[in-house]
Amino acid sequence: MKQKKAFNISRRSFLKISAGAAALAGVPLPKTASARTEEQLSTLIDLNLCDGCVDRKVPACVSACKAINKDKIPQVVKNIPEPWPRKTIEDWSKKQEVTNRLTPYNFIYVHNAQIDGKTIFAPRRCMHCDNPACATICPFSANSKKKNGAVVIDQDLCFGGAKCKDVCPWEIPQRQSGVGIYLHVLPGFMGNGVMYKCDLCNERLKEGKLPGCVEACPRQALLIGERKAIEKIADERARAMNGFIYGKTENGGTSTLYVSPVSFEQINKTMEKKPGQPDMKPDVVRKMATTDPLGKAVLAAPLLGLAAAGVAGAHNWFTRRKKLVKKEEENND
Amino acid sequence: MTEKILAKKNLVVRHSALELIEHWAIAISGLVLLFTGIFELPVAKRYYIITVPGLGWSADFITSLYLHYAAALVFTAVGVFHLIYHGLLGEKGLLPQKGDFAKSITVIKSFIGLCKEPPMHKYLPEQRLAYVGMAFIILMLILSGLVKTYKNIYAPDMSHTVLLWATWIHNIFFLLFFLSFLAHMAAIALRPNWPMVRCIFTGKVRLDYARHRHALWLAELEPAQPVCAAASTDTTLPETCSGLAAEPMPAPAPETHPAAVETSQEEIWPPKA
Repeated sequence: MKQKKAFNISRRSFLKISAGAAALAGVPLPKTASARTEEQLSTLIDLNLCDGCVDRKVPACVSACKAINKDKIPQVVKNIPEPWPRKTIEDWSKKQEVTNRLTPYNFIYVHNAQIDGKTIFAPRRCMHCDNPACATICPFSANSKKKNGAVVIDQDLCFGGAKCKDVCPWEIPQRQSGVGIYLHVLPGFMGNGVMYKCDLCNERLKEGKLPGCVEACPRQALLIGERKAIEKIADERARAMNGFIYGKTENGGTSTLYVSPVSFEQINKTMEKKPGQPDMKPDVVRKMATTDPLGKAVLAAPLLGLAAAGVAGAHNWFTRRKKLVKKEEENND
Repeated sequence: MTEKILAKKNLVVRHSALELIEHWAIAISGLVLLFTGIFELPVAKRYYIITVPGLGWSADFITSLYLHYAAALVFTAVGVFHLIYHGLLGEKGLLPQKGDFAKSITVIKSFIGLCKEPPMHKYLPEQRLAYVGMAFIILMLILSGLVKTYKNIYAPDMSHTVLLWATWIHNIFFLLFFLSFLAHMAAIALRPNWPMVRCIFTGKVRLDYARHRHALWLAELEPAQPVCAAASTDTTLPETCSGLAAEPMPAPAPETHPAAVETSQEEIWPPKA
């Protein structure tokens, strides 16, 4: 009953947020539920509201996420091929119940930070960055960013090379070996499974539903809505609590905004970056941004080649013409 | 037109300095693209490439991307330059001609002594076919690479269908580029092609080699000279080559070839001690 109520409230709050902010910002509302796959969304995680569901064995957001994705990973093969030459196998299939870190079977967990006698609970999952290196740099484009801001790994295309994890400042994606397309190609030499992470419940968004974590949160600490609306709410709440925002500029901007009464520097100090347990370092830079100027030059390279060919062609024509005239003059003499 | 006979030095100028620059710019940037492209796959850690001295950076995808972009800038600009510049000049020597496929087979047979080589133009028939193949591979790599670069900077949420096409075209043609590179190296390893190797460094080939092997080209450069003594004496060819090697030599061009204008009589004959 409580769950049902929470669902209704969350759904209403989504619409309320969108309507209110749209009216304020002059932004049109989505006309249909399916429009949510096109308009850019953001989520708000209010650490002032999140209580970590201390009265439950597992936080509601984590339970909901696990329930929705319980059948996502196919049956892992009995004998997982040993990769060569580095023999790293990551098998979480026998530890599916783990909820205190990110795993291929757990896309969200709640960090517990003790700061000056106060407890701050921080749900952690993929930030769904604005320009996510994990997606743009994926060699098979198995990981892609959608128009609505969700960054989604297609498990049918992923080879599990973990490149996305390497370039993610928070090392969010987690690998499960023994599943995926690599088993049908060269399992010993290429690939090592499939990478898994939060996909913002993109399939549910397409159906007009809320992400599981948002829907399940009994305190409405998680909200999702049109990006500008969420940004506005985040700003207002941060101002009201004289607090802080995380995710607005980090890694070049993200679709996840944390609001907290405690600074993220302090929260980060309580976090030891470990596998599956990302930190919250403020002002994380987008490393790929350093390559953007050169990338822009690459895009201009065809014009550069064209201009050089024009100049060289003209030079060649004038040289030939000059020789021809000279020769004619010599003949006339 | 820089083709020129330097008889005193027993050399023929085959490529201009500009053509050499184009070749090496494409070759070096292509190799950098090949290796940094490989390093964009998660292989450096797995295969311990990072332990090779000097390759510690190979598992850093951002550094690899930076180098990949730098090489792509040269590769793309020179590729477009090559296409437009030589197109403007109307140079068609490297474009395939009718019968090149059959001629290529004859040339390959000649390598194993099955027949005599037919007289050839400036470029071998298989060179012309390989050129078009390589040009197509490069074109596809450039186009798909530009789409991927645009996505990286401006459109991370680009249509997944477009992105998958660009990605797989890039990956497949990367493989073809690598195989073409190996084939190119294999062609150089063949003994009859050795005299051409110096040419891609200096722009010049030996005159006696050119007379023997590129008789049709020399015929264009030496309008007044009897065409290719070496090749023209090969009248008894095995049947496998008939119809190809026995192809009649073209009569010396009646009009003066522009390149020949630059060749003085002194340089050609009489030979000086």
